[in-house]
Amino acid sequence: MAKLEDSWRRFSEKAASYTAYAKAWEAKIGAFLSFNPQHNPASTSAVPAGQSPVAGLPFGVKDNIAVAGFPLTCGSKMLEGLTSPYTATAVQKLIDGGARPVGKTNLDEFGMGSSTDNSALGKTNNPWDVTRVAGGSSGGSAACVAAGQVPFALGSDTGGSVRQPAAFCGVYGLKPTYGTVSRFGLTAYASSLEVIGVLATTVGLTRSVYDLIKGEDGNDQTSLKSEPGPARPVRKIGILKNLTGLAPGVEAVYRESLATLKKLGYTLVEVELPTLEYAVSAYYTIATAEASANLARFNGIRYGLRPEYAENPEDLIRKARTAGFGDEVKTRILLGSYVLRSGFQDQFYTKAQKVRTAIRRDFDRIFEEADVFLSPTFPTTAFAHGDTTMTSFQQKLADKFTVTANLTGQPGLSFPAGLADGLPVGLQVLAPVFEEGRLFEVADRFAEAVPPAACPGTSLDWSL
Amino acid sequence: MKHIMDIRELEITAELAQIALTPVELERLGREVTQMVSYFEKMKEVDTDGLEPTTHAFVKANRVRPDAVKPSTLADAALERAPELEDRFIVIPNVL
Amino acid sequence: MYDTFVGLEIHIHLLTKSKVFCSCKAHYGDEPNTNVCPVCLGYPGVLPVLNEEAIKLAYVVAQALNCRLSPRTLFERKNYFYPDLPKNYQISQFRDPVGENGFIDVPLGEGVTKRIRIHDVHLEEDAGKMIHAGDMSLCDYNRTGYPLLEIVTEPDLSGGEEAERFLQYFQRVVRYLHVSDGNMEEGSLRCDANISINKTGGGLGTKVEVKNLNSSRFVRKALEFEFKRQSAQFEAGTRIVQETRLWNENRDVTESMRSKESSHDYRYFPEPDLPPFVPSGDFLRLVDSLQVELPLARRERLKTTWGLSAEQADFVSESKSLADYFETTAKASGQGASVANWLMGDVQKELKHFDLTLEASPLSSARLAQLVTLLESGRIHIKIAKQLLIAVFEENKDPETLVKEKGWEAITTESQLQPILDKVFAEHSGVVDAIRAGDQRQKGFLVGQVMQATGGRAAPALVNQLLAKALG
Repeated sequence: MAKLEDSWRRFSEKAASYTAYAKAWEAKIGAFLSFNPQHNPASTSAVPAGQSPVAGLPFGVKDNIAVAGFPLTCGSKMLEGLTSPYTATAVQKLIDGGARPVGKTNLDEFGMGSSTDNSALGKTNNPWDVTRVAGGSSGGSAACVAAGQVPFALGSDTGGSVRQPAAFCGVYGLKPTYGTVSRFGLTAYASSLEVIGVLATTVGLTRSVYDLIKGEDGNDQTSLKSEPGPARPVRKIGILKNLTGLAPGVEAVYRESLATLKKLGYTLVEVELPTLEYAVSAYYTIATAEASANLARFNGIRYGLRPEYAENPEDLIRKARTAGFGDEVKTRILLGSYVLRSGFQDQFYTKAQKVRTAIRRDFDRIFEEADVFLSPTFPTTAFAHGDTTMTSFQQKLADKFTVTANLTGQPGLSFPAGLADGLPVGLQVLAPVFEEGRLFEVADRFAEAVPPAACPGTSLDWSL
Repeated sequence: MKHIMDIRELEITAELAQIALTPVELERLGREVTQMVSYFEKMKEVDTDGLEPTTHAFVKANRVRPDAVKPSTLADAALERAPELEDRFIVIPNVL
Repeated sequence: MYDTFVGLEIHIHLLTKSKVFCSCKAHYGDEPNTNVCPVCLGYPGVLPVLNEEAIKLAYVVAQALNCRLSPRTLFERKNYFYPDLPKNYQISQFRDPVGENGFIDVPLGEGVTKRIRIHDVHLEEDAGKMIHAGDMSLCDYNRTGYPLLEIVTEPDLSGGEEAERFLQYFQRVVRYLHVSDGNMEEGSLRCDANISINKTGGGLGTKVEVKNLNSSRFVRKALEFEFKRQSAQFEAGTRIVQETRLWNENRDVTESMRSKESSHDYRYFPEPDLPPFVPSGDFLRLVDSLQVELPLARRERLKTTWGLSAEQADFVSESKSLADYFETTAKASGQGASVANWLMGDVQKELKHFDLTLEASPLSSARLAQLVTLLESGRIHIKIAKQLLIAVFEENKDPETLVKEKGWEAITTESQLQPILDKVFAEHSGVVDAIRAGDQRQKGFLVGQVMQATGGRAAPALVNQLLAKALG
């Protein structure tokens, strides 16, 4: 795969043609909220190509991750115009490795959504079909990678926000083990669930970027050193015994893929996951509870949106929050405040944490029966902007395959498995904590059998 | 669907969250909040007797940092981002 | 007729160099918003990092207050909006505080000690400061994130006076432990009080909280005011409202805050950004090694070990450094009461005169011990000793050296004194004759002359003895 990175390096050196290509796609898909390939952070070091797999590569950063000198809007009117004074640990590690952040990608406001349509600052289209959404909340990061504007991008995954848009856009999307990548610099939505993840065009690059950004960080006391067990090949793949509710196209690709995996020599083991139907409830209870506190800091006083007129501090805070947040964010803040209220906390928040424990136990059991666990990433392919059947409630219910990994902290990878009606279908493979290696192994072998389709109009060899 | 949250509960919640809602918004957002809360009620079905709540994804060893001062090099940069300043104070309106 | 129940919520700033969750300087009096960073300003994406010194000092206090120490202490978010609280939640503790169920014995008057129960001790972060100016408020976040330890007592105090004494004693305790400046003026020790009254034997009444108590005197005055106000309501048959009131120091009254207190629901939940802290054996041993004898115990021991009076013991045990100084000096000189007297009297006087603290003065405990030893062994007498003390302050030399340099050693032998006596007799032969003739009144004059001739160094007993011999 080194060939791809080399061609990227050559390509991005031709600054003018690179910018022209990226901008042409940008006009179609709106992946970025800010795009500045010439921006050169002071700390960028010249790293020889041989010394770092990302040397010389441009990359996109979801706009809820801090990069000094770039905007940090989180897709919200609340933070429109805010420039970050500091850089996230994960981004700094990439810069230190010689990679170059070129822009901030669009997202659902504060990471809340599955379509990127909840962004208050821009509209992002799916490069495969611009009438459709790129997924979310890291929709911009998925779209810019799929369109070849950058070879990789960082996203954040709180309940599937890297994996689902990766599936919708036909790229790889890694949600690492919780804590293995520092959250320092990631605008918090749900602190105990989320992690910075990688979206990339190849398994190899996904792995390289992950290897660079992981590690314990003094600025994040929940960060961890990755300590995988002894390497051994993946043999058994766990799959759900009763899997229903998939869109026909997704179902077809899923079945075909199971056959492919069997052909590749894997043993498929049917497993039961009785807690799956409660995962979405537990997830949204915990996520919104944490969000209600995490988003309390946005009050228009120290930075961000300041209302034209306010009589007193309380008036100021309320006006800033009322004007600054969109509907989905307000809904989740209300929900989260409610489930934490005294009188409701035990029934909802504490119960959800116990259900979370139950789900973790289910997965512990599954990983005694199988080396990895496989499912579709999302029940549908990319849906159309404004699709009335995909209400925000329906979108939440559809997160059921992805949220489990956030509740357990385990790693997950969405990989392109094929097309349904010309749209990418992603499958998700999950592994025990720290066993990202197993995910890369399965995705790599699958790609040898079924190479991922390139998005029409993009070029992977960059000879244009 | 059982309507388990009345408007008053929503108003108290919005007050706690410092968000002002018009009656129309209260209705619109309230519908979804109520829908979600009803959905959350499903969790009752899970037998969680004897299970400890998971409060943190993973807890390894204690994490502390040494008590050493690092100069605040970003203080000025942060102040530049404040909407209103006077001397080095961040100013907010307060008409008593 | 009434029982009064007072409990205190005391906040102390812990003595750390940096803030509790970031590396900004924890320091008073700097220009506004200089000791701030994205973390304590609540920027998007930042995370708290726990200061090990802060958690250590928190455990030190909890142990000193005889609390059950938490084997797994947890931080929680306390959610409320206030402009001086950047994140609009305070990282605090709720379900698993550092310490719970403690007590402290407090001297509350002549020979009276009372055991006050401690509900809990928890670590949290301080908020910033807001200054009101006309139609705006000015926010300074320098103080945001100072490590703040909250100590909550049970309602075991019986009124304003006890509360004041408790607070004064508590201040000494935290200074003894060297965990806080305990300075109420600077706000490194702050106190809220709650008070309820009831007919004698009726148990706890309706709790009223009183805030804005910036000195221990205000604590007493506010609680005394509340007692009067509430007992008057009782007399009048008016129901006492559970509320929070503010002390108005200009009008000497408490005033209702009239806030929407009822809508307060802090929605505590575990802080996901900070893992629980589990003290190790080594950590607990370290905390144990930092325990000190508390002022009350120290005072009692000083009384029995060194035979100090209550007044002396109170004085000497006022601060740990003074008590340490006293004990070192007492041990070196073998003199307890004398050292205590010096400290209370002349040493105090000279410190005031030279405007020095004991620590900063030239009078080390070794020097005071030398001085006291010189005096008690009779090598100098009291008048010289007082001169010698001043000389130590002025010249910063050891008393032994000064006595030698200045020839201040007492004249205690007949062979030294007799020649001087002879000289005085020769100069004042008329007086000598008069005495011999029976005018005993003139004897004092001769003593004075001898003392003058020796620069006050002659041992008075010896002078008298030799005079008696010579004059018959």
